[in-house]
Amino acid sequence: MGADPASGGLMLRGLVKRYGAVEAVAGIDLEIRRGEFLTLLGPSGSGKTTLLMMIAGFQDATEGEILLDGQPITATPAEKRNFGMVFQGYALFPHMTVRDNIGYALSVRHRPKPEIAARVAEMLELVQLQGMDDRLPAQLSGGQQQRVALARALVFSPPVLLLDEPLGALDRKLRIEVQEQLKDLHRRVGTTFVYVTHDQEEALSMSDRVVIMRAGRIEQVGTPEDLYTRPRTEFAASFLGKSNFIDRDGRRFSIRPERIDLLPLGAGRSRGRVLSLSYFGPLLKYRIETPDHGVLEVDVDAWRGGVALAAGAEVGLDWTDEAAMPLEK
Amino acid sequence: MTPARLNHIIAWSLLVFLVAPALIAIPVSLTTENYLSLPWDGISLQYYREVFNSPEWMSSFLQSTVIGLTSAALATVVGTLAAVGLWRLSSRWGEVVRGLLLLPLVIPPIIAAMAFYRLFVPLGLIDSYLGLILAHAVLAAPLVLITVGASLAGFDRRLEQASRNLGASSAQTLWRVILPSIRPGVISGAVFAFIASWDEIVVTLFLSKFTVYTLPRRMWNGIRENTDPAVAAAAVILLGVTFAAFLIWGIAQRRAAKPQSKST
Repeated sequence: MGADPASGGLMLRGLVKRYGAVEAVAGIDLEIRRGEFLTLLGPSGSGKTTLLMMIAGFQDATEGEILLDGQPITATPAEKRNFGMVFQGYALFPHMTVRDNIGYALSVRHRPKPEIAARVAEMLELVQLQGMDDRLPAQLSGGQQQRVALARALVFSPPVLLLDEPLGALDRKLRIEVQEQLKDLHRRVGTTFVYVTHDQEEALSMSDRVVIMRAGRIEQVGTPEDLYTRPRTEFAASFLGKSNFIDRDGRRFSIRPERIDLLPLGAGRSRGRVLSLSYFGPLLKYRIETPDHGVLEVDVDAWRGGVALAAGAEVGLDWTDEAAMPLEK
Repeated sequence: MTPARLNHIIAWSLLVFLVAPALIAIPVSLTTENYLSLPWDGISLQYYREVFNSPEWMSSFLQSTVIGLTSAALATVVGTLAAVGLWRLSSRWGEVVRGLLLLPLVIPPIIAAMAFYRLFVPLGLIDSYLGLILAHAVLAAPLVLITVGASLAGFDRRLEQASRNLGASSAQTLWRVILPSIRPGVISGAVFAFIASWDEIVVTLFLSKFTVYTLPRRMWNGIRENTDPAVAAAAVILLGVTFAAFLIWGIAQRRAAKPQSKST
């Protein structure tokens, strides 16, 4: 089933994409390890989709090169790169059945019919769409279409699978379900996944590593835990999760809302007044105005907190030294 | 009378005014007289019999069909490929080229006819099937470019990318993904191209003498030389074929407009 375990390592060196005077991708150096689930995370306009399109071969690099397992592929056309891709909106062929969509990559390679049929059946089982062979894409739900797109992209065992916001069209409940399926699929096929999203939750829950992108550059790379607990910049801290920023000794620090404790007035290293609170099921979210650090957001476990504080209440605030992460300038 | 009613009346009168001259051939073709006239004294199919029994009329009918189908096929292939090529380029220069390719639609037919004449005389293409087919294909290709271009405007570029990503060559992508998606535009273009050739007279007058004698050409002569009502019968046949072609086009459009899903 799985991809060639010896293939799928990508190296991006000094990649630049310029449209006239605009730099969509402004110099990317990145190693994507064989078999890993790597997410390119960033707001729109951060260059993440352009970067993915350059890896896929749909956009030429203005500068720099792309290597697959050490071999340069910068000049290789998209159809020769053998990368699977799941497009935004899936781009299933509307006039072809599920079977023909999935078998397309094999059929254009002139594989024998019985082999295609066997492979398609295998893929249908992998994405749990048995019995849907003869449906047209328009007859499938969004979640089913997404699975057909996955099966179509994986049928030829590509060393790399590129995914461009594949969950964007699904509703929230389905998205969470599909995140787990995707992760599971990644474990089973062993292909390198390069995943583009602007959704931090998706990035955190599925990836081995996340690349936070901003204005065509890499802001920070790391495991989800790394990035969440040790953000290096203000942008990284606020884009992945929520963060408070405080200034001390001429430096800026990030403190996650759940790392601040509320104490009786007079205790702790700071004090403040509750501006508002909202109930989020497991969490109570407070906005607290402090004289030294402006408005801070504080999350308290709802089950632990006892009586909720009312707006206007005066409280003490405290956090540990390691909760305050120093940021680069 | 309400304004809405007045509008109706004006609209219908206009329609009659526009269509009636074309349809006048129908009663005239049924006349019992031996000159072009309305059938006041009874109805007869004698002129249809005359047309169908006349080797000249039948030969012209066949020639128009062959030239129409061949030039339509040629125009469809060339026009479709041009449209797809311009769509792939999608650059400013591509739009300039598109404008140039559409010129045959704007140029008065009489000028196009003179140009073809000047070009075809030294090439020996005057009064030949090939010459007329080429000329009609050139005149009709822009129609295909327009209809196929319109279809491509609604075509999701990601489908092409998906096909290439899955390893398909340009030819495979064109044949298996692009063409099936733009089929309505291709069929429309082919039908319009056929009709354009089927009733073309100006260029035909310049390029044909004896060997090639299309239906409009024979009608032209028939009207000039005598007032034989057989011309009216031939006109009705011509109209009928044009109407049938539009019917095919209409059916193709409806098929395309229907969503592809059956109920699940």
